[in-house]
Amino acid sequence: MLATPLEMRKVGLYMVDADAQPAAMALARMGVLHPLEDSAIGQVLQDYPAAFYYAVYHDLNSRFGKISSFLKTPLQPTVESDELVTLGQLQVLDRQLKQLWAQISALEEQIRRQNEKVGAIRQLANSLQKFSSLDLDLGRLRRRGKFLRISVGTVPAENFSQLRRALSLTQFMIKVFYSSEGINHVVVFGPSQQREEVHDLLQSADFRGLTVPEEFSGSPARLQADLDRQIEQADARMQQWQRELSELIKANQACLQSAQDLLLQARPYASLATVLRGKGGLVYLQGWVPAQSEQQIRQQLAEQLTFPFQLEFSDPEQQEFDSVPSLLKKSWLLRPFQGLVKNFGLPGYREVDPSGLFALSYVLMFGMMFGDIGHGAVIALASLMFYRRYPGITIVGVLAGMSSVGFGFVYGSLFGYEHVVPALWMSPMQDPVQVLLLAVLWGAGFIVIANLLAIRNFFAAGQIDQAWYSGKGIAGLGFYLAAFYGAYQVTFNNQFGWLESVLVALPMALIVHFQWRQSSGGLAERILVVFIEGLEHIISNVSGTLSFLRVAAFSLNHIALAAAVFAIAGMLDSFGHVVTVLLGNIFIIVLEGAIVAIQCLRLEYYEGFSRFFSGKGRAFEPLKFET
Amino acid sequence: MSGFSSVYLGTRLTVLASRLISFEQLIDFIELDLEQILLQVKQRSGYDYDIDGSNPRWIEAQLTHRALDEFLILLRPFSGSERRFFQFAIRWFELVNLKVLIRGKFSGIDSSEIEQQLIDLRSFTDLPINRLLETDDPYEMLRLLETTAYGGIVRQARRMYEEHGNDLFLLDASIDRSFFIDLKHHARFLREEDATNVRQVMGGLLDRFNLLWLLRYRFSYELSPAKSFYLLTTTGNRLHSAELMRLAQMDSTEEVIAALPEPYQRLLARIRSISDMEMVMEYYSLSIAARALYRRPNLLSRTFSYIVLREAEVRFLQALIKGKQLGFDNDLIKQAMGAVA
Repeated sequence: MLATPLEMRKVGLYMVDADAQPAAMALARMGVLHPLEDSAIGQVLQDYPAAFYYAVYHDLNSRFGKISSFLKTPLQPTVESDELVTLGQLQVLDRQLKQLWAQISALEEQIRRQNEKVGAIRQLANSLQKFSSLDLDLGRLRRRGKFLRISVGTVPAENFSQLRRALSLTQFMIKVFYSSEGINHVVVFGPSQQREEVHDLLQSADFRGLTVPEEFSGSPARLQADLDRQIEQADARMQQWQRELSELIKANQACLQSAQDLLLQARPYASLATVLRGKGGLVYLQGWVPAQSEQQIRQQLAEQLTFPFQLEFSDPEQQEFDSVPSLLKKSWLLRPFQGLVKNFGLPGYREVDPSGLFALSYVLMFGMMFGDIGHGAVIALASLMFYRRYPGITIVGVLAGMSSVGFGFVYGSLFGYEHVVPALWMSPMQDPVQVLLLAVLWGAGFIVIANLLAIRNFFAAGQIDQAWYSGKGIAGLGFYLAAFYGAYQVTFNNQFGWLESVLVALPMALIVHFQWRQSSGGLAERILVVFIEGLEHIISNVSGTLSFLRVAAFSLNHIALAAAVFAIAGMLDSFGHVVTVLLGNIFIIVLEGAIVAIQCLRLEYYEGFSRFFSGKGRAFEPLKFET
Repeated sequence: MSGFSSVYLGTRLTVLASRLISFEQLIDFIELDLEQILLQVKQRSGYDYDIDGSNPRWIEAQLTHRALDEFLILLRPFSGSERRFFQFAIRWFELVNLKVLIRGKFSGIDSSEIEQQLIDLRSFTDLPINRLLETDDPYEMLRLLETTAYGGIVRQARRMYEEHGNDLFLLDASIDRSFFIDLKHHARFLREEDATNVRQVMGGLLDRFNLLWLLRYRFSYELSPAKSFYLLTTTGNRLHSAELMRLAQMDSTEEVIAALPEPYQRLLARIRSISDMEMVMEYYSLSIAARALYRRPNLLSRTFSYIVLREAEVRFLQALIKGKQLGFDNDLIKQAMGAVA
């Protein structure tokens, strides 16, 4: 139930340059090496032998990613062997994809421009509709008058006021005749001799002019037809380019497939670019491996490497503990709980993995707070429906549901009915004070276990002073137990004598002394810090214990909610009664069930994990060969 | 903002403002060597900066990071339109990266070289830097940029590029122009009193950019008065639209300066080169910000002024330290500091 992450060993592999890639592939196939960057070795072996390989791999991977986004269905890997991929192979394929991407990018740019053009034509067509009711010869707009120049078009509304002011510096004028969706439809007119200057200005302001065809002289309706034709042609051209794009991708499907396979095969060696160090043909690779894999690594490397190599294994030093990755033992049953633990943080290398204890206490607390045979059975059965898509939910749901069923028998509760099934113990409503006291006892036990785990973790990490004297250490545990005993004596025997005082004061003095040694700064600052931390320690113990009153409160709340449902149902006829009881039970299962699940998690995280668990572990991320 | 937050922000601003290094002090630093400069910076600002001989950009990144960390602290008490205004204002830092990316791609510079010139803006990064660096051609990058928060700015820059070719000044000016228009737009949503105070500080900056752009467009690029005026950004404190339209029609720099309203006419009367004018105008716009920071009670305009002054300090220090690292002589560094003004 209280496991620690798997034991790790540091591995160092010296080999010749030519064997680096086969070694990477062999280690990736085993999936046991968490690569490690070592700055010390970098002083001697200054080169990064895989850096150029990685650069080419990265370029190819990036281009492949861009091009494959145009694929209608994603490619499936067809890698059958784990052959080594040479730098030359990557470079050849990268050149091919570079050319292909250049073609795609050019088509994309054409489509973008065409889209912009179509947008502008649509805006102009919209402008023209404003003229449709007029019997106006628009051919005049085309004719370049000797003295007067007139243009109709659109300009973004945000550019309009600045453009109008700028045009006032010329002899041109601009008038808006229609505005819509951030676009102003305008007429610009002025003397012909300034047309070049104004044309330049209008271009900067993103003015899109209505071009009247040479052969055109007629009414707005005819020009509208011409614009419609332009839009049709532009759309057809865009569809043509889209088809070209699809055909281009289709024609290069084989190339893309081979790029994907090659990338998968090249990834293990490329991903070592920053950790593989070398000099003059000698290459060094370092990392963490599970101790149990040592033999397998020796055997595999001996088989796969052509040249002699040197393999060194060593246990992690105490100062390295923070950098050793944590690999939790795999367990089908505990997997969803490990996920919830990881939400808080990963256990450090020498810390206890609390998943087992967490699973047990979570399931028990859920049952205590939501004890009902019927409700528990519904939760367990409903959870089974998620088995295929979310097996984790099923495991947690079934266990929590079964716990609920178990405590349902203890309380004698079935779908809120308290007198149908005889209680193995009693209904919480019969003696709420006793239930509350039991909850406090449960909480105290929970906190004591959390404290013991913290002490164990301190010793395992070599923090001996912390283990003995800190608030979470043996002194802290002593203080908690003494304070609990003192509270018991005051409550039940009405006494707090010298023995109780000494028992409480002694560990507290040790804690304060330890905090004093740990603090820094001026005298007043240290006094303040120690005082506040000491006070915080007392308050957190009291509030932490009282937090567990919610275990009792929710078990009472569960019955009270059911009672409320029955009270409402009792006021209705038989049909209304059945419907109310049914809906009320659904309400209780969904709403209260969710609240209890969250409250249990809160107790685990804040009253449990935060007391003994740093959550600062590093995930074990092995070199892998993925297909 | 609650009373408590106002007191907190006011105190923070006072402490941070006391650590700012003035323009005059920065100019004095030119005579010192790099170690002395860093010692002086530490004494005045309290910040210790490391030098990494193998990575000259490291110190630039540190300078930016410290400033951004301060801005994060200053932004905490703000919410709603005020917070949005400041978040947009701080994008000014990211525009530097945006310009580096656009310039780099259009100049055909290798992605790894462009990457070295970028500054890591941590949580203030909006641009998908890696994806932008992985683009194979400038138009692919522009298409990607058009899908980001900078889409509008980039579309304007694209138009400018297609109209005038790879002219870095015009490209930069186009990006800055769009930024100021959007910044003024964001200021509209502030409370009237805050907006008025902020506009005074912003106005100094806008006058500076507008005047210098006008001079460049008219007399370096020889654009028409109308187009030169059109390419200016939103108007500032003294140089209103009518003023700028009148100036755009002048035929020489001297005529423009003679026609400027006070105090610009007095400040620029004896200056001939545009780069010197830039330095004077920057100094003047920063003095407006400093007045708002040290003498005005409005917290919003004080915060904005602090950002403006701190940004200038970072820029000057970066130019100074870079100049020292590259072994430039003091006159050249002075010129460079003027050029970044």
